[in-house]
Amino acid sequence: MIYLDHAAATPVNKKALEAMRPYFDEDFFNPSAAYLPAKKVAHEYEEAKGVIAHAIGAKANDLVITAGATEANNLAFSAVLDGRVLYLATEHDSVRKVAEQYSGEAIEVDKNGRIDLNDLKAKITDDVILISVALANNELGTIQPLSEIASLIREVRLNRLSRGVKRPLYLHSDASQAMNLLNVNVARLGVDLLTLNSAKVYGPKGVGALYVSHDVKLKPASYGGGQEQGLRSGTENVPGVIGFAKAVEEATKHLNGNRKKYAELKKILLSELKDYELVNKKHSLDNFIVLCYNGIDAERLIFLLEDKGVYVSTGAACAANKGAKSHVLAAIGLSDSEINGSLRLTLGETNDEEQIHEAARLINEAVTLEKSRG
Amino acid sequence: MSGGVDSSVSAMLLKQQGYDVTGVYMKNWSKDLPGMKCPWAEDLADAKRVAVKLGIDFEVWDFEKEYFERVVEYMLSEFKAGNTPNPDIMCNQEIKFKLFFEKAMERGADFIATGHYARIIDGKLARAVDEKKDQTYFLYRISDEAISHTIFPIDEMLKPDVKKLAEENGLHNAYKKESMGVCFVGEVGMKDFLKEYIDIQPGEIREVETEKVVGHHEGAVFYTIGQRHGLYISGNVGEVNSGLPYYVVKKDLEKNIVYVSRNLDSNLVWVNELELKDIILKDKKINNLTVRLRHLGELIPATLEGDTLKFENKIKRPAAGQSAVFYDGEICLGGGIIL
Repeated sequence: MIYLDHAAATPVNKKALEAMRPYFDEDFFNPSAAYLPAKKVAHEYEEAKGVIAHAIGAKANDLVITAGATEANNLAFSAVLDGRVLYLATEHDSVRKVAEQYSGEAIEVDKNGRIDLNDLKAKITDDVILISVALANNELGTIQPLSEIASLIREVRLNRLSRGVKRPLYLHSDASQAMNLLNVNVARLGVDLLTLNSAKVYGPKGVGALYVSHDVKLKPASYGGGQEQGLRSGTENVPGVIGFAKAVEEATKHLNGNRKKYAELKKILLSELKDYELVNKKHSLDNFIVLCYNGIDAERLIFLLEDKGVYVSTGAACAANKGAKSHVLAAIGLSDSEINGSLRLTLGETNDEEQIHEAARLINEAVTLEKSRG
Repeated sequence: MSGGVDSSVSAMLLKQQGYDVTGVYMKNWSKDLPGMKCPWAEDLADAKRVAVKLGIDFEVWDFEKEYFERVVEYMLSEFKAGNTPNPDIMCNQEIKFKLFFEKAMERGADFIATGHYARIIDGKLARAVDEKKDQTYFLYRISDEAISHTIFPIDEMLKPDVKKLAEENGLHNAYKKESMGVCFVGEVGMKDFLKEYIDIQPGEIREVETEKVVGHHEGAVFYTIGQRHGLYISGNVGEVNSGLPYYVVKKDLEKNIVYVSRNLDSNLVWVNELELKDIILKDKKINNLTVRLRHLGELIPATLEGDTLKFENKIKRPAAGQSAVFYDGEICLGGGIIL
């Protein structure tokens, strides 16, 4: 198997898996129970949260653990008590669809998928309360200039205060794709809310977190026993969070080595592949390669490559299944036929150089086959 | 191509026979329903995967609007009128062998092909060789024009052989359940489906012989003659009181009353004759007429006099709106809708 879809899912890191194991049976206690073994579990849970928080320059109590990034994104929008939201046109559906519930307006991107700061400026009217911009896009890997956006937002805040406008203005960012590929620090990015996703960083699925700065008031995602600072009641997913923490720890440790490795593998792929246009030329994560084979139906390539044990994607896994055309590729100005011909490869820890040579050969072969079909 | 094994093998056989084949997925329905996720996206991906492996072109034709207007709305109005229509028959008549057929012809196709189990003998529709799978009951209303441009590639195959052929050619999908007609009929009960479009209207369930109220229902339109399940009688579902269950024998749509009986011999149930409407009869010369009253039902000898079907022995009366399909030997002559 040559797996080139690490943006869709990652295998759970072996050490993370090991770390989780005792919490399913031996240390299964409810962290809220009174006796000592349960207190120990509660302590270890908090420590694990601390590890995740530390990786982004925050404290355990700044995190609300959720069942994945979609839930974290939804929770972030509960900061909107009154007012409108802005979101980047290329956001994942777990932001776009929520934003639609809050009279969301899309901010344009340029042909590289980077935010149009002038468009943002023009759209921040006094009724805007939340702006959501993913740190790195899930289809293109485009990295957004978050700190620039944050300083723009600071100016708007000051300006609002000077005019006696009380409505706050928050910056939310979904860092699901970026956490194991960039140094993520909430203070440096200047975000008020940040979404994290275990499943994309070699942790277990169904676990995510929302970083919440002290200024932001959220509406609880669920009511009950008051866990997660009262914002998400429900017995803690102890093994999930333990695994997430271990995965984050490993990701941080190998961050630089991995980035170097992906950059090299990417170079090999791009030199050995034939007859493509590179879509994500600039400002992209090291492991994202989006190729355009204009005139070919890239979805057909998925099925041809699947037969050879090579797993690739045409865009977000969720969008690919529904026959809907990618709103991300449309937003950067690709034509329908270019969108149709676009293939997303995302490198990861399962890949090595030998695989990449083989993948390039098999992809070239599949492309030739499709072209010859005429 | 539905993504299922029958249409997949059909496409493969055509390719092997040298036809220039284009696979088409018909998108007729995509809405999820309570307790049921519509599998259209997965089906579409499965169909496309097969097309790619066969090396044929593949397209998606969207008939969702037309399907709703011509099949679903027809179905709803029939139910509201107290009948029990068959959406598969309507889908074949109005969508697959009409709109799809017409579009294919416009696009320059010589033939359309589907994975139905049915044969065409001398331009006439005939039952499949695999009698356990024969689908002519659903096809009796399709036009002669469509039939003359249709190929059923698995017409003479048995289902197990179709499956085997699919496996041998790497076309089988180990994760796939067999698809059943339109997506909502198989997996959700018709009642759940109707409830999406028709408000519930509580009413009485009465015993037909005594007029005694024995329970209550959620709306007479949701019940079908012959139905035994889902009746709220004496506070229990499908309660067996004195050894025999109640079943629906009559509906009064105006008063919203469902009549039930425990008498399995009721003359409301057993009849000698059926009145039909919208009869299609492709050949007036009939040697031995047999009639099928449901999909894969028994072939019952009968005579057709005007719009009346007469049976020698009493038959259990099907619900109004269902079809009686005529056969002469293995040839399907047509049929009509039961009043």
